Amino acid sequence: MLRLINCQNATLLLDQQPDRALPWGPRASLWLHLRYCPYCNRYAKQTVLIAEWARAAATSRAHSDATLPEAAKERMRARLVEAGA
Amino acid sequence: MTPSIPIPAQWPARYADELYRFALSRVSDANVAEELVQETFLSALDGLATFRAEASERTWLFVILRRKIIDHYRRQARATQVSLDELSEGGATEADFFNPENGHWTGPQAPASWLNADAALEQQELHDILLRCQQRLPAQQGAVFALRFVEELSAEEICQELGLSPANYWVIVHRAKLQLRRCLEKHGLGKN
Repeated sequence: MLRLINCQNATLLLDQQPDRALPWGPRASLWLHLRYCPYCNRYAKQTVLIAEWARAAATSRAHSDATLPEAAKERMRARLVEAGA
Repeated sequence: MTPSIPIPAQWPARYADELYRFALSRVSDANVAEELVQETFLSALDGLATFRAEASERTWLFVILRRKIIDHYRRQARATQVSLDELSEGGATEADFFNPENGHWTGPQAPASWLNADAALEQQELHDILLRCQQRLPAQQGAVFALRFVEELSAEEICQELGLSPANYWVIVHRAKLQLRRCLEKHGLGKN
Protein backbone atom coordinates (compact mmCIF):
# COMPACT_ATOMS: atom_id res chain seq x y z
CA MET A 1 0.00 0.00 0.00
CA LEU A 2 1.25 3.47 -0.87
CA ARG A 3 1.93 5.48 2.28
CA LEU A 4 1.73 9.24 2.28
CA ILE A 5 4.85 10.76 3.80
CA ASN A 6 5.63 14.25 5.04
CA CYS A 7 8.53 16.54 4.11
CA GLN A 8 10.67 15.43 7.03
CA ASN A 9 10.47 11.79 5.94
CA ALA A 10 10.84 12.68 2.27
CA THR A 11 14.05 14.67 2.79
CA LEU A 12 15.48 11.91 5.00
CA LEU A 13 14.81 9.39 2.23
CA LEU A 14 16.40 11.76 -0.29
CA ASP A 15 19.56 11.86 1.82
CA GLN A 16 19.59 8.07 2.13
CA GLN A 17 19.15 7.46 -1.58
CA PRO A 18 22.79 7.83 -2.67
CA ASP A 19 23.89 5.27 -0.08
CA ARG A 20 21.20 2.62 -0.06
CA ALA A 21 18.73 1.29 -2.57
CA LEU A 22 15.37 2.25 -1.11
CA PRO A 23 12.84 -0.58 -0.80
CA TRP A 24 9.80 -0.38 -3.09
CA GLY A 25 7.46 1.12 -0.48
CA PRO A 26 9.53 4.13 0.59
CA ARG A 27 10.63 4.67 -3.01
CA ALA A 28 7.03 4.87 -4.20
CA SER A 29 6.07 7.12 -1.28
CA LEU A 30 8.94 9.45 -2.09
CA TRP A 31 8.00 9.53 -5.77
CA LEU A 32 4.45 10.43 -4.90
CA HIS A 33 5.54 13.12 -2.43
CA LEU A 34 7.82 14.71 -5.01
CA ARG A 35 4.89 14.85 -7.47
CA TYR A 36 3.15 17.46 -5.38
CA CYS A 37 5.76 19.07 -3.09
CA PRO A 38 7.77 21.84 -4.81
CA TYR A 39 9.90 22.40 -1.70
CA CYS A 40 11.12 18.83 -1.45
CA ASN A 41 11.76 18.90 -5.18
CA ARG A 42 14.08 21.82 -4.59
CA TYR A 43 15.65 20.00 -1.65
CA ALA A 44 16.26 16.96 -3.87
CA LYS A 45 18.34 19.05 -6.28
CA GLN A 46 20.03 21.15 -3.61
CA THR A 47 21.20 18.25 -1.46
CA VAL A 48 22.96 16.79 -4.51
CA LEU A 49 24.50 20.18 -5.35
CA ILE A 50 25.83 20.61 -1.80
CA ALA A 51 27.63 17.26 -2.03
CA GLU A 52 29.10 18.16 -5.43
CA TRP A 53 30.23 21.59 -4.27
CA ALA A 54 31.85 20.25 -1.09
CA ARG A 55 34.01 17.92 -3.15
CA ALA A 56 34.81 20.55 -5.78
CA ALA A 57 35.66 23.15 -3.12
CA ALA A 58 38.14 20.83 -1.40
CA THR A 59 39.73 19.94 -4.74
CA SER A 60 40.14 23.57 -5.70
CA ARG A 61 41.61 24.41 -2.28
CA ALA A 62 44.17 21.62 -2.74
CA HIS A 63 45.44 23.58 -5.76
CA SER A 64 46.08 26.74 -3.79
CA ASP A 65 49.57 28.18 -3.58
CA ALA A 66 49.97 27.72 0.16
CA THR A 67 53.44 26.66 1.23
CA LEU A 68 55.02 25.62 4.49
CA PRO A 69 57.63 27.93 5.98
CA GLU A 70 61.17 26.64 5.53
CA ALA A 71 61.51 26.47 9.31
CA ALA A 72 58.61 24.01 9.49
CA LYS A 73 60.18 21.81 6.82
CA GLU A 74 63.47 21.90 8.72
CA ARG A 75 61.66 20.85 11.91
CA MET A 76 60.12 17.94 10.03
CA ARG A 77 63.48 16.92 8.63
CA ALA A 78 65.02 17.06 12.09
CA ARG A 79 62.22 14.88 13.53
CA LEU A 80 62.75 12.34 10.75
CA VAL A 81 66.49 12.22 11.35
CA GLU A 82 65.86 11.90 15.07
CA ALA A 83 63.48 9.01 14.37
CA GLY A 84 66.18 7.23 12.42
CA ALA A 85 65.94 8.49 8.83
CA MET B 1 64.50 2.88 -14.99
CA THR B 2 65.93 1.87 -11.66
CA PRO B 3 63.36 1.84 -8.88
CA SER B 4 63.71 4.83 -6.59
CA ILE B 5 64.82 4.24 -3.04
CA PRO B 6 63.04 6.55 -0.62
CA ILE B 7 65.30 8.99 1.21
CA PRO B 8 63.14 10.05 4.16
CA ALA B 9 65.33 12.99 5.15
CA GLN B 10 64.55 14.53 1.75
CA TRP B 11 60.77 14.14 2.03
CA PRO B 12 60.08 17.53 3.63
CA ALA B 13 61.95 19.41 0.91
CA ARG B 14 60.36 17.35 -1.86
CA TYR B 15 56.81 16.74 -0.75
CA ALA B 16 55.90 18.82 2.30
CA ASP B 17 54.31 21.73 0.39
CA GLU B 18 52.12 19.53 -1.75
CA LEU B 19 51.02 17.37 1.17
CA TYR B 20 50.42 20.49 3.25
CA ARG B 21 48.17 22.03 0.60
CA PHE B 22 46.15 18.83 0.44
CA ALA B 23 45.86 18.63 4.25
CA LEU B 24 44.92 22.31 4.43
CA SER B 25 42.19 21.78 1.85
CA ARG B 26 40.61 19.30 4.24
CA VAL B 27 41.16 20.68 7.73
CA SER B 28 41.48 24.46 7.18
CA ASP B 29 43.59 24.96 10.32
CA ALA B 30 47.23 25.56 9.33
CA ASN B 31 48.66 24.07 12.53
CA VAL B 32 46.58 20.92 12.24
CA ALA B 33 47.53 20.58 8.57
CA GLU B 34 51.22 20.91 9.43
CA GLU B 35 50.87 18.31 12.15
CA LEU B 36 49.18 15.89 9.75
CA VAL B 37 52.08 16.24 7.32
CA GLN B 38 54.57 15.65 10.12
CA GLU B 39 52.66 12.55 11.24
CA THR B 40 52.53 11.34 7.65
CA PHE B 41 56.32 11.48 7.33
CA LEU B 42 56.86 9.71 10.65
CA SER B 43 54.34 6.96 9.82
CA ALA B 44 55.92 6.56 6.40
CA LEU B 45 59.33 6.17 8.02
CA ASP B 46 57.87 3.55 10.37
CA GLY B 47 56.31 1.70 7.48
CA LEU B 48 59.21 2.02 5.08
CA ALA B 49 59.21 -1.77 4.74
CA THR B 50 55.70 -1.65 3.24
CA PHE B 51 56.79 0.69 0.47
CA ARG B 52 56.94 -1.10 -2.86
CA ALA B 53 59.64 0.21 -5.12
CA GLU B 54 57.42 0.07 -8.19
CA ALA B 55 54.94 2.48 -6.60
CA SER B 56 55.50 6.18 -6.57
CA GLU B 57 56.85 7.55 -3.33
CA ARG B 58 54.61 10.59 -3.71
CA THR B 59 51.43 8.51 -4.19
CA TRP B 60 52.38 6.37 -1.21
CA LEU B 61 52.79 9.46 1.00
CA PHE B 62 49.41 10.77 -0.14
CA VAL B 63 47.76 7.46 0.78
CA ILE B 64 49.23 7.77 4.27
CA LEU B 65 48.16 11.42 4.57
CA ARG B 66 44.62 10.56 3.52
CA ARG B 67 44.49 7.94 6.27
CA LYS B 68 45.71 10.59 8.74
CA ILE B 69 42.93 12.93 7.60
CA ILE B 70 40.31 10.22 8.15
CA ASP B 71 41.79 9.58 11.62
CA HIS B 72 41.60 13.30 12.31
CA TYR B 73 37.87 13.37 11.46
CA ARG B 74 37.31 10.25 13.52
CA ARG B 75 38.87 11.90 16.56
CA GLN B 76 36.80 15.02 15.92
CA ALA B 77 33.60 12.99 15.71
CA ARG B 78 34.37 10.74 18.64
CA ALA B 79 35.40 13.56 20.93
CA THR B 80 31.90 14.93 20.61
CA GLN B 81 30.02 11.68 20.25
CA VAL B 82 26.61 11.78 21.80
CA SER B 83 23.64 9.46 21.85
CA LEU B 84 20.81 9.89 19.39
CA ASP B 85 18.63 11.55 22.02
CA GLU B 86 21.32 14.07 22.74
CA LEU B 87 22.24 14.74 19.14
CA SER B 88 20.23 17.92 19.34
CA GLU B 89 22.66 19.48 21.78
CA GLY B 90 24.75 22.10 20.09
CA GLY B 91 22.92 21.92 16.79
CA ALA B 92 19.61 22.32 15.04
CA THR B 93 17.15 19.44 15.08
CA GLU B 94 14.35 18.44 12.73
CA ALA B 95 12.01 20.61 14.80
CA ASP B 96 13.92 23.67 13.60
CA PHE B 97 12.99 22.89 10.02
CA PHE B 98 9.74 20.94 10.10
CA ASN B 99 6.44 21.51 11.84
CA PRO B 100 6.47 18.97 14.71
CA GLU B 101 2.75 18.33 14.22
CA ASN B 102 2.68 17.39 10.57
CA GLY B 103 6.34 17.09 9.50
CA HIS B 104 6.04 19.64 6.69
CA TRP B 105 8.50 22.49 6.16
CA THR B 106 7.78 25.39 8.46
CA GLY B 107 7.16 28.53 6.38
CA PRO B 108 10.51 30.36 6.50
CA GLN B 109 12.55 27.12 6.31
CA ALA B 110 11.00 25.90 3.06
CA PRO B 111 13.70 25.71 0.38
CA ALA B 112 13.79 28.64 -2.03
CA SER B 113 14.64 28.11 -5.67
CA TRP B 114 18.34 28.07 -6.49
CA LEU B 115 17.59 28.25 -10.16
CA ASN B 116 20.43 30.65 -10.88
CA ALA B 117 22.72 29.31 -8.20
CA ASP B 118 25.73 29.22 -10.46
CA ALA B 119 25.14 32.72 -11.75
CA ALA B 120 24.33 34.24 -8.36
CA LEU B 121 27.78 33.66 -6.91
CA GLU B 122 31.30 33.35 -8.23
CA GLN B 123 32.55 29.80 -7.83
CA GLN B 124 35.27 30.87 -5.43
CA GLU B 125 32.74 32.78 -3.35
CA LEU B 126 30.45 29.76 -3.31
CA HIS B 127 33.29 27.52 -2.12
CA ASP B 128 34.23 29.98 0.62
CA ILE B 129 30.66 30.26 1.86
CA LEU B 130 30.24 26.49 1.86
CA LEU B 131 33.45 26.09 3.86
CA ARG B 132 32.29 28.64 6.42
CA CYS B 133 28.94 26.88 6.66
CA GLN B 134 30.70 23.52 7.14
CA GLN B 135 32.80 25.02 9.92
CA ARG B 136 29.63 26.08 11.73
CA LEU B 137 28.29 22.55 11.91
CA PRO B 138 28.55 20.76 15.26
CA ALA B 139 31.87 18.84 15.28
CA GLN B 140 30.37 15.39 14.81
CA GLN B 141 28.17 16.49 11.90
CA GLY B 142 31.07 18.32 10.28
CA ALA B 143 33.27 15.23 10.50
CA VAL B 144 30.60 12.89 9.13
CA PHE B 145 29.80 15.30 6.29
CA ALA B 146 33.48 15.61 5.33
CA LEU B 147 34.07 11.85 5.47
CA ARG B 148 31.05 11.16 3.29
CA PHE B 149 31.13 13.98 0.75
CA VAL B 150 34.76 15.10 0.61
CA GLU B 151 36.67 11.91 1.41
CA GLU B 152 33.88 9.91 -0.23
CA LEU B 153 33.82 7.05 2.23
CA SER B 154 30.69 4.92 2.08
CA ALA B 155 28.00 5.12 4.74
CA GLU B 156 29.03 1.66 5.87
CA GLU B 157 32.69 2.61 6.23
CA ILE B 158 31.79 5.74 8.21
CA CYS B 159 29.54 3.79 10.58
CA GLN B 160 32.41 1.39 11.13
CA GLU B 161 35.02 4.13 11.63
CA LEU B 162 32.88 6.07 14.06
CA GLY B 163 30.99 3.24 15.72
CA LEU B 164 27.64 4.64 14.60
CA SER B 165 24.43 2.74 13.96
CA PRO B 166 22.96 3.33 10.49
CA ALA B 167 19.93 5.10 12.03
CA ASN B 168 22.21 7.42 13.95
CA TYR B 169 24.31 8.05 10.85
CA TRP B 170 21.27 9.03 8.78
CA VAL B 171 20.09 11.50 11.40
CA ILE B 172 23.54 13.12 11.44
CA VAL B 173 23.80 13.34 7.64
CA HIS B 174 20.27 14.65 7.30
CA ARG B 175 20.77 17.35 9.94
CA ALA B 176 24.10 18.37 8.43
CA LYS B 177 22.51 18.72 4.99
CA LEU B 178 19.51 20.64 6.35
CA GLN B 179 21.79 23.10 8.12
CA LEU B 180 24.19 23.53 5.22
CA ARG B 181 21.27 24.13 2.86
CA ARG B 182 19.84 26.79 5.14
CA CYS B 183 23.26 28.38 5.73
CA LEU B 184 23.98 28.58 1.98
CA GLU B 185 20.61 30.11 1.32
CA LYS B 186 21.11 32.65 4.07
CA HIS B 187 24.43 33.65 2.53
CA GLY B 188 23.39 34.39 -0.99
CA LEU B 189 21.82 31.41 -2.71
CA GLY B 190 18.17 31.57 -3.61
CA LYS B 191 18.05 35.34 -3.94
CA ASN B 192 17.25 35.41 -7.60
